[in-house]
Amino acid sequence: MKTLIKLAWRNIWRNKRRTFITMASIFFAVILSTLIVSVKDGVQSNMIKNSVGDFLGYIQIQQTDYKEDMTVDNSLLLSDSLRSILTNNSNIVTYLPRIESFALAAADENTKGTMVVGADVSKENQFNNLAERIIDGEYLNNDDKAVLVGSGLAKYLNLSVGDTIVLMGKGYHSATAAGKYQVKGILKFGSPELSNRLVFLPIKEAQWLFDLESRYTSLNLQLKDVTLYNQTTTELNQVLNTDYTAYSWEALLPQLKNIIETDKKEGYMFMFILYMVVSFGIFGTTLMMLAERRHEFGVLISIGMKKMKLAVSVWIEIISLTFLGALFGMLAAFPICLYFNINPIPLGESLRKLTEEYGIEAVLQFSIRPGIFTTQAVVVFVLASVISVYSFIKLLRYNPIKEMKS
Amino acid sequence: MKKSITIIALLLISFSRIQAQTAIEILQELELRMQGKSSYVEMSIIVERPKWRKEMALKSWSMGDKLGVSVITSPAKEKGTVFLIRDKEVWNFLPSIDRKIKMPPSMMMQSWMGTDLTNDDLVKQSSMIEDYAQKIIGEEVKEGLNCWKLELVPFEDAPVVWGKIVIWIDQEHYMQLRVEFFDEDNYLVNTMIASDIRKFGDKTLPSTITVIPEDEDGNKTIISYDVWEFDIAIDEQMFTTNYMKRIK
Repeated sequence: MKTLIKLAWRNIWRNKRRTFITMASIFFAVILSTLIVSVKDGVQSNMIKNSVGDFLGYIQIQQTDYKEDMTVDNSLLLSDSLRSILTNNSNIVTYLPRIESFALAAADENTKGTMVVGADVSKENQFNNLAERIIDGEYLNNDDKAVLVGSGLAKYLNLSVGDTIVLMGKGYHSATAAGKYQVKGILKFGSPELSNRLVFLPIKEAQWLFDLESRYTSLNLQLKDVTLYNQTTTELNQVLNTDYTAYSWEALLPQLKNIIETDKKEGYMFMFILYMVVSFGIFGTTLMMLAERRHEFGVLISIGMKKMKLAVSVWIEIISLTFLGALFGMLAAFPICLYFNINPIPLGESLRKLTEEYGIEAVLQFSIRPGIFTTQAVVVFVLASVISVYSFIKLLRYNPIKEMKS
Repeated sequence: MKKSITIIALLLISFSRIQAQTAIEILQELELRMQGKSSYVEMSIIVERPKWRKEMALKSWSMGDKLGVSVITSPAKEKGTVFLIRDKEVWNFLPSIDRKIKMPPSMMMQSWMGTDLTNDDLVKQSSMIEDYAQKIIGEEVKEGLNCWKLELVPFEDAPVVWGKIVIWIDQEHYMQLRVEFFDEDNYLVNTMIASDIRKFGDKTLPSTITVIPEDEDGNKTIISYDVWEFDIAIDEQMFTTNYMKRIK
């Protein structure tokens, strides 16, 4: 066996050009598939981060009827039992109380439907770094009677810092919710949807505006490990009484989940086609190698080399080549992905409008999740190993006279 | 033969005209009694929903059938909210934002202050005469009083939302004791029931009006009149948008 490996190793370097071509075909296959998966994964997680991580939260607790009828009438009171459930779950760091409701916002001449969000602004800043999103003016204090507005909304209503915005909507039990506030700052979110609709105000002020006393519409949970959101949601729903329900972001934003699912399926189709192309590339080089060395193999078998040993030696050759190609491909793809992870590619003007309509930030973000690189290398390696079975079988059935004559 | 058909047709037309005139007369008499030259009302409104109820109190002044102004006196959150009715326009003054708003047509069909009444209901009263063809369709007893039962069908070009209105009006005091509102497909949408008849000054009027929407179970709005004065002296300037801020 040791001899066979040595033989294979020498064979690899005997014809450097052939080795190089084979390795290159695998190398580029790995780079290409890695880049594609990286950008898909990156764009998707950016989408989730923009609309879920930055604002919605991976899990929310709501009054059970709120999901069907999203009015402040279905708001919740933070009871002691609920509080203890939240502190007892090990994956929950803290909760951010929120009041979300619809209101008409009016400035001098324009009016627009907006999403009014009341939040504990200092806590919100601590966990969501909201203050960093201020592009003009200042961040709020919890005692302010002022608001922050999204950049798109500010533009539409022609508002700048210091101007007055009037909010009108329906409060708790049909009370009139009307208030006028000074704009203290302008926020820009990754998701254009949020920038176009959001009005942010301190929770006490929102409770006054909607006549909610000490109620909230939702509790936004901050998790230690966000990837466990499904498990934590299930755990919570087991202990919560029927008045409250915990929802994961997938339940809160089914449209985003659908977009991601569709995108993933599209990705699978594309990857399937890509792998087909890659497989035939590797198959081609294998066939070329077998054809080139027809005479060599014929002579070897004729002078008494065991077909089995020859087949194993060639198989080792192909596997080592593939392994090296995949490894180099993986190593080469990483810096490219890293570069575009730090410097996402902005989309062109026309594409930007389209993506922003879907509420997606218009950049191509690359992902550097380790799984992507290893998966692609492993997939291409497996493909090559499967293809090398062909050469193995072919050599076992080798007819040296026929092969050498042709 | 032809002649007799014409005569019958003529007879039918004149007969229905007599009926229509009486129906319109009933409505005119009702309006005259309800509104007088001017009026002042203090009322409380209870909004009932399956899970909660809410009470409001308000004062209201009116002059003729075109001008009216109301101010909310409780709850505290909404105190000082003023509604001004000028002909078919509704203006709203909100003290919390210090602004006067004219209700756009798109908001006229929305709920008024969370009750089962719409903004449109505030202004529609006089249109019962202008926008509908009226007809007496029978006589019934409601609240122990003999009533005419009137059917109102809107004219084709009338700017109204109902397909039909049926009203029961008592024959002695001309009170609307029951009103049923139907949509264009002839389904009952709202029912208004008057009760607790008492004397306000020299007029006999129902002091409680209950509005029950048909399609929402458990919803109800109850309006009770505590004070109702007629023909009082009011300055017409009270019914201007500039005065809205000062009404208390």
